[in-house]
Amino acid sequence: MAATSNATMTAAVPTTASHAKMRNSLWWDAFRRLKKNKVAVASFFVICVYVLIALGAKLGLLFPDVAIGSPSMQYLPWSWEHPFGTDVLGRDVLARAVHGTATALSVGLISSGISLVIGLTLGALAGYYGKWVDGLIVWLYTTIDSIPYILLIPALTFVLGRGLINVYIAVGVTSWVTLCRLIRGEFMKHKDRDYVMAAKVIGASDVRKIFRHILPNVTHLAFVQFGLGFVAAIKIEVILSYLGLGVDPSTPSWGIMLDDSKLELSRPFWGNLAAATIFMFGLILSFNLFNDALRDSLDPKLKNK
Amino acid sequence: MLSYIVRRTLYMIPILIGITLLTFLIFNVLGGDVAGRLAGRHATPEQVASIKHELGLDKSIPEQYINYLHQIATFDYGRSWSTKQEVSTMLSEGVTPTLSMTIPPFLASIVFCIGLALFAVYLRGTIFDKGIVVTCLGLMSISSLVYILALQYFFAYHLGAFPISGWDPSFSGRWQYLVLPWIILFVLTLGPNILVYRSVITDEAFQDYVRTARAKGVASSRVYMKHILKNAMIPIITIIVIDMPFLITGSVLIENFFGIPGLGGMVVKALNESDFPTIKALTVVTSIAYMFFNLLSDVLYSVVDPRIKLG
Amino acid sequence: MFNASFKKLTTSLLALAAFALITQGCTKKVSDTDTTLNIVVRANIKGLDPVRANDLYSSMAIANIFESLLQYNYLKRPFTLEPSLAESMPVASADGLTHTFKIKKGVKFQDNAAFKDGKGRELTAQDFIYSWKRLADPKTASEGFWIFDGKIKGMAEWIEAMKAGKATYDTPIEGLTAPDANTLVIKLTGPYYQLYDVLAMPFSAVVPKEAVDKYGQEFLNNPVGTGPFMLKSAGDWVRNSKMTLVKNPTWRGQAFPTEGEATDKANGFLEDAGKPLPFAEKVVFTELVEDTPRWQNAVKGNFDYVEIPNDVFDKAIDPADRTKLSKELTDKGMKLSITTSPDVTYTGFNMKDPILGKSKELRQAMSLAQDGATLIAKFYNGRGIVAQGPIPPGFPSYDANFKNPYSTHDIAKAKALLAKAGYPEGKGLPEFTLDTLADSKARQQAEFFVQNQAAIGIKVRISANTWPQFQEKIKTGKVQLFGIAWNADYPDPQNFFQLFYSKNMSPGPNDSSFSNAEFDKLYEQSLKMAPGDARNAVYQKMRDVVVEEAPWIFGAHRLGYRAIHGWVHNMKWNDIQNDFPKYIRIDAKQRAELSKKL
Repeated sequence: MAATSNATMTAAVPTTASHAKMRNSLWWDAFRRLKKNKVAVASFFVICVYVLIALGAKLGLLFPDVAIGSPSMQYLPWSWEHPFGTDVLGRDVLARAVHGTATALSVGLISSGISLVIGLTLGALAGYYGKWVDGLIVWLYTTIDSIPYILLIPALTFVLGRGLINVYIAVGVTSWVTLCRLIRGEFMKHKDRDYVMAAKVIGASDVRKIFRHILPNVTHLAFVQFGLGFVAAIKIEVILSYLGLGVDPSTPSWGIMLDDSKLELSRPFWGNLAAATIFMFGLILSFNLFNDALRDSLDPKLKNK
Repeated sequence: MLSYIVRRTLYMIPILIGITLLTFLIFNVLGGDVAGRLAGRHATPEQVASIKHELGLDKSIPEQYINYLHQIATFDYGRSWSTKQEVSTMLSEGVTPTLSMTIPPFLASIVFCIGLALFAVYLRGTIFDKGIVVTCLGLMSISSLVYILALQYFFAYHLGAFPISGWDPSFSGRWQYLVLPWIILFVLTLGPNILVYRSVITDEAFQDYVRTARAKGVASSRVYMKHILKNAMIPIITIIVIDMPFLITGSVLIENFFGIPGLGGMVVKALNESDFPTIKALTVVTSIAYMFFNLLSDVLYSVVDPRIKLG
Repeated sequence: MFNASFKKLTTSLLALAAFALITQGCTKKVSDTDTTLNIVVRANIKGLDPVRANDLYSSMAIANIFESLLQYNYLKRPFTLEPSLAESMPVASADGLTHTFKIKKGVKFQDNAAFKDGKGRELTAQDFIYSWKRLADPKTASEGFWIFDGKIKGMAEWIEAMKAGKATYDTPIEGLTAPDANTLVIKLTGPYYQLYDVLAMPFSAVVPKEAVDKYGQEFLNNPVGTGPFMLKSAGDWVRNSKMTLVKNPTWRGQAFPTEGEATDKANGFLEDAGKPLPFAEKVVFTELVEDTPRWQNAVKGNFDYVEIPNDVFDKAIDPADRTKLSKELTDKGMKLSITTSPDVTYTGFNMKDPILGKSKELRQAMSLAQDGATLIAKFYNGRGIVAQGPIPPGFPSYDANFKNPYSTHDIAKAKALLAKAGYPEGKGLPEFTLDTLADSKARQQAEFFVQNQAAIGIKVRISANTWPQFQEKIKTGKVQLFGIAWNADYPDPQNFFQLFYSKNMSPGPNDSSFSNAEFDKLYEQSLKMAPGDARNAVYQKMRDVVVEEAPWIFGAHRLGYRAIHGWVHNMKWNDIQNDFPKYIRIDAKQRAELSKKL
């Protein structure tokens, strides 16, 4: 059954001894192709803008007074001063959306970081050592994969408690399965290749073989998967906050803004909904487009398209 | 074939143990002072102790696990802490409304989205393809609340074409309440489905054999219908299976807004009220159901592609 | 392929729109003979067992099926007790420790398969003893047992014996005896002036042993009581959706009250004086969690009345006169009912906290920092009054002229007190944690609290919880500040003051762990006093202590705004009586007529 989702991403893998050069040229080729792709460049630019916004918010350069407001300014309609109006506590909605960006990016980054580390390590171990190690790891991820994440993640946050850190952990420890599967498959292919054999002959240790020789050949997979995980983590944070299981209420978050909008739409006040939707749309759209382009450029089969 | 199915079925045993171990770990070991919560705020230590005893929480962890397995096997999840209703009854009562609500749009969406995705891949890179991607992402970014509120207001409240909300347990009476939820669910699944099908069909469309077929002069449309779609069936089945828990958990918001007494609303209530037995049962039951779906999909693979036999 | 699908989609959407337009013309026909009362509830009804009547909506359903010894007069205010299953008001001994009840003759339990031939048996005094033993039984683990806990002679011993397995339901309790089938004698361990109040609560309702034996735990889905309405078959309750109760044909009967408050006649509440109850053939409870569809359904006439949700409030109310509904709704024949809820919202301090519990000035300063008027204006649409103390309006000892010096919004005074406490501008204070519930409304109010406290330099962070987690934290003292509300169980201020009594500290209901010798003395004194002016004076002294010591920051006494359809009669809303459906009369003809306009 592992043969299935791998099918979505298979890369041509160099088999000759000069694999290092080939590897570089793979990345170089990919980079060249990416650079030519206008959509990719534009979406990369947008992602950078988001990162800058998040950093600006965290460093207190953008909207440092995000928490300030007074109920006498409750639900102001949009204006130049407040492009998305003000919320129930009279706070600027745009400021909340900007600070929510920092929350979203940190959840995306840390959770998919956690899942990257787990997925890479376990995938490499399983693929490289095979036998009972493989059996155990496959069993572990099949088990985790069998529990629908929509129940597993709330159950975990429920047990761990609320808060940003627990959201990181819950999303991170549940979302490494796909990557682990892919890496495991690749390691199984690579471990018997000539260049690994050559390394063995000159007496390289297992650790060296895994990290110095094989791993660099499969990082592009991790890269693409990291992007997908990033988007998924952001969406999950939104859902969790929406269910009241997410981040601490004092942390601005798009999920909390959407939750607020539930009480406001019949008023009608659209600010929270519009701001959260637009911010999320921009980030997810550019991430998806960039990821798509990255994948295409890493996949030589699509080269001539 | 048969031996494959048997082997595949046997493989479910370790997975089943895994699922029960994991849920047991989450709820019984990490779950904290369960008895204290159940006893309520004003309970004396003695009351807590007696509840512990009653729930078997004073036993050793392995013993508790055995009890837990016994519960699952006999479909006896005890009573909800919140409503004191039997959890198994609650689950079985919630299944019908949820499935009635989710299955029709689920199937409709699969057919529609595969069609549209094939078309997008056929025109890959054109403005049409990009338009579909952007539209899908746009549809996905809009909170389901907007669809719910807008459709409920316009069709049900303003036009009065459908009941605003409600549920009728009889088979013939329930459909009038379900039309709007169906439409909303259909729209909600469009974005993610088209994108993911587009992605797997793309992978298939650029395989060597497709180029060979084209080079040989096979008409494009035939290549699409016969070769690509057939070969993309395996990832498509996988995706459908991955989406299946959705059939069970449904959509919480839609259930709440349309007053449909399904499992989705039950999940949220259980989470809000820390109703351990209900959450536990929901998790275990959906996981086991999901495991069977997985088995089903693996068997289907071997039908679709006889080369896959090893699992 | 795409074109084909697209065409299909557009065609089906058009078809849908056309269907909608066609059906729009034909509004549904409303029967002019159907007197069903349609009630919408915002959370699920959990079960129908009186020992589990500890949430609002379950109690509401239970109070229609089951009855207790006493009830409140539907019209009289302040609330006045009158007999329900009791023949007359009980006779108390001179020392107030023995109370003798005569029970109505000829009262029958509802027909049910649990009885011989399916015919309901006649009620006896023994049934009460059985029902209350069941409430006290540790195996039942009822959250309503507090109504008798420590009050009835011999009950504690019986419970101990039950725990040890040395007693059964046949083992007598000294304080509960039935000299004959229609006489019940209750002996108390000490004065308990709230006894009659708790005997009007659904917790003390009478249940037949036969049904409990037959259904066991499933009694909560197969209720058998003596009340005016009954759940005819288990299938009439589609859980999480809808419950249909029908008139109980063997009900004892009761007449609509003939006298009430002075204003009742003018308000039309005496039109049905003396007529036999109940008026409605059926009572239907519909469960709907979300505000929007609840409101839309009610406006369309699918529910007979509805509490106005926050977010449609401005549209539903006449902007010129906020005690009236908007023109649109008035034109539909709807009326507005405004009532004071018997509750108080508050932010409690954990008095065991080493900083918050030690400094009265700090607590007073935080209380002054709270902008209660804005809280009510912006979060309750002005539907509330700033609480000056724990006692809500309409309760004995409530004084409308009393002003709590710390319930005003006064930043300057707050800062002065903060400096006096040794924390000028909040310096030297750690960040406090405010625990609250996770729902959107509670979270927003908590954020407002944080804003208020920030104005005097006090930092607060919010921790959101599910209700059980929240309770557990409070119980184990793992809180500093917590936002919560108390709803009265019965209309006696004691129900609020018990929350400050030091002997009621956790696991008792004193969640703040407030302990004050002067207060305790007054509280103990008040327990021994009969209702009246003297006791009210003591209550006011207790209030003064609580106000000065400030273990709570008082929030609001909320007001209930309900939009009621023109065809609903006798709806004198209050939050104490859950058995109101029997008094409500639906004018079916009027409903059919008015429905045409909806």
